[in-house]
Amino acid sequence: MAEPRKPHAPKKDAGPELGEFSDRLKNLSDRIAAEKVEQAGTQKPSENFQAATAYSKGYRLASEFVAGVLVGGLLGYGLDWLLGTLPLFLIVLLLFGFAAGILNMSRAANRSQPTAEELKKMTPPRADDEEED
Amino acid sequence: MANDPIHQFQIKDLAGPVNIGGYDISFTNSALFMGIAVASITAFLWYASRKQALVPDRTQSVGELWYGMIHSMVKNVLHEEGMKFFPLVFSLFSFVLVANMLGMFPYFFTVTSHVVVTAALAVFVVGLVVVVGIWKHGLGWFKLFVPSGVPIVILPFISLIEIISFLSRPISLGLRLFGNMLAGHIVLKVFSGFVVSLVALGIGGIVGAIAPLAMAVALTALEFLVAFLQAFVFAILTCVYLNDALHTHH
Repeated sequence: MAEPRKPHAPKKDAGPELGEFSDRLKNLSDRIAAEKVEQAGTQKPSENFQAATAYSKGYRLASEFVAGVLVGGLLGYGLDWLLGTLPLFLIVLLLFGFAAGILNMSRAANRSQPTAEELKKMTPPRADDEEED
Repeated sequence: MANDPIHQFQIKDLAGPVNIGGYDISFTNSALFMGIAVASITAFLWYASRKQALVPDRTQSVGELWYGMIHSMVKNVLHEEGMKFFPLVFSLFSFVLVANMLGMFPYFFTVTSHVVVTAALAVFVVGLVVVVGIWKHGLGWFKLFVPSGVPIVILPFISLIEIISFLSRPISLGLRLFGNMLAGHIVLKVFSGFVVSLVALGIGGIVGAIAPLAMAVALTALEFLVAFLQAFVFAILTCVYLNDALHTHH
């Protein structure tokens, strides 16, 4: 969103001091007006915060995936511990944990896109959901 | 051992053991630094806002930046209706940020390098998400785990995956902060330890120590970045999760 800064307008020849100053003043107020219009248009001043850096993004994706696998494995191990069927649920839920990790990751990756647009398009939850269960 | 990289994370009892009901609630160095973090946040923000000048001085504008950054972030993610969570998000961010930054001082204890602390914060946030979701949508909030438009045959599997995915939120939230702080401090300590051991070897060692010294300097800068970034990521994810609770979209 950074607007390319225009270089100073070349000094007019034969311009008295005051003329140059008022030129610069006009130039500045034009730029401020343009900036304001742009700000109002996008309404997202801190986009760069959401993007943060590539480092944190990468670390985030990795940790989302690891967390999914960990939770799956722990749930499986806990179920096995309760039921005494050691390798069974550990293996099954570990696989589900992988799936959940991938899901987490894809959601985290999608989330780093701007959300304001998405929220505007989003419809409120439907009242006529089919009641199957 | 002098340069044991784990030694810095040891919990020490400062005032003698206190036991209540079988729980050890002694005043430790971790508790001390949590207290220091809270006290310094309060003192700084009070000091920054004492004048409330129209044209802020330096301290006041730091306070305003701090406040304004989180304010605009909460507004972006949660919009107007979510502004009631702003005090919570601001407190969380400030605590994590100051605890991280305090950890950057030599000989100071890093509160956030213990998984107990970060996991407690993360479980609190996700617990709040559940409470807000149920308060806002009633039991219909649990439809989050039952996405619409999925064939009934694979619905149980999808639900299980969704549940695991939801349960992994506090883990990833807490683990990320903890892992970043722990790993960063260990790496910093290891490189600094290289310098000390190499210098002890003599003149050749001193020349050899230049590389790890440069690395330690660079890592210190990186750690400051990470300390800020992780606090910010924690705050922004809190907002994102709360937003999910306010608008269930499945």
